Amino acid sequence: MANNPTSEQEPQEVPEEKRRNPVLDNIQQLGQTNTPSGESNIYCMTIIGQVEGHLVLPPQNKTTKYEHLIPQLVAAEQNSKIEGMLIILNTVGGDVEAGLAIAEMIASISKPTVTLVLGGGHSIGVPIAVSADFSFIAETATMTIHPIRLNGLIIGVPQTFEYLEKMQERVIRFVTRHSRVNEQVFKDLMFKTGELTRDIGTTVIGNDAVKHGLIDSVGGIGEALRELNRRIEENRVAQNGFAVPVGGVPS
Amino acid sequence: MILYSCMPEEIVFEGWDRELERPTEVTINGLLMEVQPVSPQEAKIVRLISPDPQQYLNPAYAPGQIIMYTPNFIQNG
Repeated sequence: MANNPTSEQEPQEVPEEKRRNPVLDNIQQLGQTNTPSGESNIYCMTIIGQVEGHLVLPPQNKTTKYEHLIPQLVAAEQNSKIEGMLIILNTVGGDVEAGLAIAEMIASISKPTVTLVLGGGHSIGVPIAVSADFSFIAETATMTIHPIRLNGLIIGVPQTFEYLEKMQERVIRFVTRHSRVNEQVFKDLMFKTGELTRDIGTTVIGNDAVKHGLIDSVGGIGEALRELNRRIEENRVAQNGFAVPVGGVPS
Repeated sequence: MILYSCMPEEIVFEGWDRELERPTEVTINGLLMEVQPVSPQEAKIVRLISPDPQQYLNPAYAPGQIIMYTPNFIQNG
């Protein structure tokens, strides 16, 4: 790739030099071609790797950052062109505070939301997975439900365990409030012994998650988008009193 | 902070005491991306951070592509 260092040092003063660079050319052209016609009416949020909270994790972790997601969710709620949200999960869990904050935000969005668990939606991924209006899980995807463990500096006093239980209660309450799972069933899954090698808890796969009432249906991206579009259509009818063709009203 | 993850803690926090290279975040044409600098003006795209699915179809911003960028301190100065 051709790179002219002099053009980069003074980019404002020598625009002709810049034009010679194919990559810059591309960026400029493609930046202009991103007209509203190519814009999606669906916001697609992917939650991958570790959900990162107040602490920056070492770089070998792939993370989804709280400070990226929160403003995106605010923008999605506010932007009138965005009609629905698709949240795709493939996460191993992460920070409790950050995970619950994201889950609460998704739950309170006024536009149709659909979640899809692909691969895995473990630990703090469980409340995020159940937070939407409708949830899907791929047939082979798994969700690990296990107790919260203490980490970091711990003082061995009874209050520490009370605190831990409170944190756990937050997760349990959120999940039972936003899905069909019964509190007792969820706790049984969480404290089951003999299933995980390193921990107590359960791994639920695809259909089992639906059977326990955690997730609404088994499906992939096709089913998830179909459900989201159906809900968007319903929303349009409810707001306008008549059906509007997909793609919106021409402005 | 309480980590609620099925991944063992020792794997998550491995290397916390070492200075490892991290990708930097840049915004190009309003699109936020993580890049790995390869020279003072060039960087390789690691991943895009965008909720607009159409952005991911743009071949110019596919992961692994080299982009020209001006680091923030030059832009501001």
